[in-house]
Amino acid sequence: MMAVASIRSVFAGRTFAQIGLVWLAFVALAAIFSPLIAPFDPYEIDPIARLTEPGWPHLFGTDHFGRDSFSRALYGARMTVLIGLGAVIVALLTGGLVGMLSAYFTRLGHVLMRGVDVLMAFPALLMALVLMTLLERSVMNTIIVIGVVYATTTARILFGMTLKLKGEVFVDAAVCSGAGHASILFRHILPNLVSPLLVQASFIFAFAQLQAAALDFLGLGLPPEVPSWGNMLSEERIYVTRAPWLLIFPGALIILSVFSMNLVGDAMRDSIDPRFKDDIAGV
Amino acid sequence: MALLDVENLEISIRFGHELLPVVRGVSFSVDENETLGIVGESGCGKSLTALAIMGLLEGSGVRVTGGRMRFGGRDLLAMSADERRHIMGNDMAMIFQEPMTSLNPVYRVGDQIIEALQQHRNLSRRAARRRAIELLDLVRIPEPDSRVDSFPHQLSGGQRQRVMIAMALSCDPKLLIADEPTTALDVTVQKEVLDLMLDLQKRTGTAIILISHDLGVIAETCNSVAVMYWGRLVETAPTDALFETLAHPYTRGLLHSIPAIDRDVDWLDAIPGRVPTIGEQIAGCPFHPRCPRAESRCRHEVPQPREIAPGHLVECHFPYGGDR
Amino acid sequence: MLFYTIKRLLALIPTLLAATMLVFLFVHLIPGDPASILLGDTATPEEVAALTRELGLDEPLWTQYLIWLGNVLQGDLGTSVFFGTPVLTVIADGAETSILLATMTMVWIVLFGVPIGIVSAMNKGRWIDQITSGGAMLFASIPTFWLGLYLILLFAVGLGWLPSSGFPSLTDTGGVTNLRYLILPSLTLAAPNAALIIRLVRASMLDVSREDHVRTARAKGLRPSRVAIRHIFRNALISVTAAFGFTFAALVSEAVVTETVFSLPGIGRLVVQSILRRDYPVIQGVILVIVVLYMFINLLVDLAYARLDPRISLK
Ligand SMILES: Nc1ncnc2c1ncn2[C@@H]1O[C@H](COP(=O)(O)OP(=O)(O)OP(=O)(O)O)[C@@H](O)[C@H]1O
Ligand SMILES: [Mg+2]
Repeated sequence: MMAVASIRSVFAGRTFAQIGLVWLAFVALAAIFSPLIAPFDPYEIDPIARLTEPGWPHLFGTDHFGRDSFSRALYGARMTVLIGLGAVIVALLTGGLVGMLSAYFTRLGHVLMRGVDVLMAFPALLMALVLMTLLERSVMNTIIVIGVVYATTTARILFGMTLKLKGEVFVDAAVCSGAGHASILFRHILPNLVSPLLVQASFIFAFAQLQAAALDFLGLGLPPEVPSWGNMLSEERIYVTRAPWLLIFPGALIILSVFSMNLVGDAMRDSIDPRFKDDIAGV
Repeated sequence: MALLDVENLEISIRFGHELLPVVRGVSFSVDENETLGIVGESGCGKSLTALAIMGLLEGSGVRVTGGRMRFGGRDLLAMSADERRHIMGNDMAMIFQEPMTSLNPVYRVGDQIIEALQQHRNLSRRAARRRAIELLDLVRIPEPDSRVDSFPHQLSGGQRQRVMIAMALSCDPKLLIADEPTTALDVTVQKEVLDLMLDLQKRTGTAIILISHDLGVIAETCNSVAVMYWGRLVETAPTDALFETLAHPYTRGLLHSIPAIDRDVDWLDAIPGRVPTIGEQIAGCPFHPRCPRAESRCRHEVPQPREIAPGHLVECHFPYGGDR
Repeated sequence: MLFYTIKRLLALIPTLLAATMLVFLFVHLIPGDPASILLGDTATPEEVAALTRELGLDEPLWTQYLIWLGNVLQGDLGTSVFFGTPVLTVIADGAETSILLATMTMVWIVLFGVPIGIVSAMNKGRWIDQITSGGAMLFASIPTFWLGLYLILLFAVGLGWLPSSGFPSLTDTGGVTNLRYLILPSLTLAAPNAALIIRLVRASMLDVSREDHVRTARAKGLRPSRVAIRHIFRNALISVTAAFGFTFAALVSEAVVTETVFSLPGIGRLVVQSILRRDYPVIQGVILVIVVLYMFINLLVDLAYARLDPRISLK
């Protein structure tokens, strides 16, 4: 109940962020129920129905294999959610942990954060490309690569935020009362970071979509047959003059979802503890 | 007619959709060669009043919502933004409460003074620079020739406040508003800065509004005093008359709360109770919950300003020295 | 200033060394024998043996690193498997395109990002601010290749105003007018970055406008536009400059996608093609160049910082 109330207060009076939230809910539903809703098999090739225009029964038309674009788009929502959440989890687990531990254990932090500095010298997309050359194209690897790319930024951010909290009275109090390191980190510091982390997660989610789409486009992301919005764009781009709708729909889906996530993140950022506002890296 | 006439000034703050008045019914006037002191506890609305006179409120969610202000006979509130800007920094200047942060850190102090000069005076850059050095000398900054090229962070707090004063005086203002010009400074520097301002007044005849929460400072420097409580002027009088009668119980409280040198007492503690928050509803006299003389009338009836002696106004049902 | 520069330069060395180690290790992370990887599939056993000896591949890893670093310092980044020419030459061939593209993109970013950000901040909360900052966020949400494809469709295919792909060198026939080949790509690349700059300029200006010294500036009777530019924007510029630097440094690698869409012969497309061709010496060389460049641009940002903010001590 409290969660509902706080969501209300965060989004009150922000019409666009509300619309964004609704859109993201749609994407989530589509992701969960795509096998039930999808009118066609997203992998089924139909050479006769190649490049049909949007209409009935192919709402978004068909691609150059004759696959139903609408069904592929629905399944693409799965990839969107999977990659977004996956990247967030990887980034927070690796980068977040490194950042928190570095801030808490100063000596260790000195070494770890220098390492983060070094990794930061590799621009994001380049790092993703390089890692993808070492790995095979798969959903899992795409998630890991994108997550790792954002791990460095996440580490920096959590380092800063933990450092701010570390000096605070309640942590001192916890130390005095004889709490162990793990307890201080996870019971006293982490709970205070939940809302800024949520904000950061929403921005990582949004960026991950663009990064994944770029990798798909370069032929270095998901395997080409996997129905993702990025792949749909990448596969059909040579038909853009003959079948412009093939790029309009998946493109619009990506833009809407990323935009929505950014709007949501922006709205949430305005409601978090002002101390942490400057730490967040987002739009 | 006085140089500045403030009548029934009301200032409100926007909270969501509501406008809550924070300063109400404030009236006073200042003339050339005069120094008016405004005293009151922290948060009572002194700075807002000063900013309202300067015309620096807009953009902060705070607005003048009532009353009249006349400066040199002209209605300030009826002026266009351009006309106001022409007065700002020219005929009317202000020294702010925060000397450490009131100068732009990226420009040399000389350039900041020159900017103020060139805004209102048709001076060449070289002439403006010469004048800036003169002004720095006037406010007794050592080695003004080289200090003019310092950045604010290279100066001490006292020196920065002197630069602020130099800047404020650059166009020979008729009115100088000094908002707690010394609160943030060391005690030794405080006196120097105050003396400097009074000295300059003697030379130029500038009217000064000196804001402080220290009655001692006010007593030493001002011709007349306005005591502010929770956005209202509860007592206004010539300095001598005020200190002789101390008619309002709040004024008395303030005086008794001047910390003695050897005791490190927070003066706020001397008056029991707390200042009401903005928008709080209090029936009767706003000071009655903290007043030692409060009676039932005080709880029901808002006191109106009364003139208990020529030029001595008190908003109290039972002022000291008055008949009960 | 010189002293400060040298100090910063020295501080860069450990990070630079660590980064080069990572780049060096890259080839060893690829499954297989490094010499065969560097020579490609067509290499004869003799060639493999020769390279193994030359790079000390049978020596301990750190010796190999030192040999490699020594070669790099002499400008020897290896030989491209695909082109058969030195990697440095291959990269140099793409440099003109990449540098011009990045510069032109930066021009758009500054030209659009700064004024729109200022206007947005000055009109905070009004409709013009909502449109510009909302629009900026929208642009930051568009995949660059999608934008590029539609720009091609509109301006090259549809209206025929601008070329859709390729970039002949400025030294080829056409000379400076060849820059028109870069207009659409640079706009594509600029869009999301300018959007970020708009948001950043706006946010930093709003931060600065709450500072006390802005009130002092207004109290002088300055015009609002002068306060906005000389006092608010000038101070916000300190943090915005950092963003300019990072953006510029990232452009070379971000251009990967744009160069692919517009078939530009730049370093970005070189990376992608080399990855697809498994031309590892080139990949390694490009990473090295980009990382070093990135670090030096960040150094320049630091120096610019010191110039913009007198509080940063130059001693
Ligand atoms: N921009 C603003 N928005 C909201 N509230 C404000 C704003 N400026 C001032 N206030 C509030 O208005 C009240 C009066 O403020 P003001 O700055 O005039 O007090 P003051 O008498 O100068 O106090 P001090 O001695 O601490 O300087 C305070 O409660 C303050 O919190
Ligand atoms: Mg004040």
